[in-house]
Amino acid sequence: MKHDHSKERIKKMCDMLGEDFDSPKCQAMAEQVKACPTCKVYYDTVKKTVLLCKQNDCEEELPAEVNSRLMKLLDL
Amino acid sequence: MDETILVEKAKDGDKAALAQLVQTYSGKIYNLALRILRNKEDAEDILQETFLTVVEKLHTFDGRSGFFTWIYRIATNASLMKLRKKKLVFKDIANEDDYNDSIESRVFVDWTQDPSINVYDEEIKKKIDEAVNKLSDIYRSVFVLRDIEGLSIKETSAILNISEENVKIRLRRARQFLRDILSEYFEERVVN
Repeated sequence: MKHDHSKERIKKMCDMLGEDFDSPKCQAMAEQVKACPTCKVYYDTVKKTVLLCKQNDCEEELPAEVNSRLMKLLDL
Repeated sequence: MDETILVEKAKDGDKAALAQLVQTYSGKIYNLALRILRNKEDAEDILQETFLTVVEKLHTFDGRSGFFTWIYRIATNASLMKLRKKKLVFKDIANEDDYNDSIESRVFVDWTQDPSINVYDEEIKKKIDEAVNKLSDIYRSVFVLRDIEGLSIKETSAILNISEENVKIRLRRARQFLRDILSEYFEERVVN
């Protein structure tokens, strides 16, 4: 029974991983996974992965020459 | 000026209105394409292709979706077409049930509290780039729109023309895929 319960909890947690982490549903899930060490580490590492990817992304300014070629192409 | 009025003016052939729309969206479209294709020359191609399509098809834009959704849809589709043409082979999560079962039997190392794991480390930046590059087109587009661009599930669903449920499924798989690739590297760093 313990095995099935854990399986169910993992499935529930994984189902939540497509949601916003700060949504109430995910916040509640974050609380629930504290009872399952494996789930907690998994959940935390997914969350941190997304954070690192976000931090690694930096918006680039449109290069002036790219903008100028675009305006010329569009005859603007 | 209100964007709806600008769009109407541009539809009527007002070049100044079109130029204003181009200035509003060119940076956003360039970055979106860059995030999906991860190549500056490709991003410029998509930028040009997107606005040529906008000019060509603007008369068909009926305003049912916002202009933002419409132009993002054009740019995302063009980026995905280009990505597919590159014929890269991507890995995928084969079977979700098997994957979920594997979580239960695996031992995970918690690397989230290690202060050395941050994006100021050049090697880590490279690993993150490599991991995102391995995401297949359908997952990469959702991941970029949701987690990098910060768009809502509804907006992403409208841009990609897929259901909101499908957005969530694809985002979940993208996040799990990236977690697995990066964790393999981070766990090794933490253990050693």
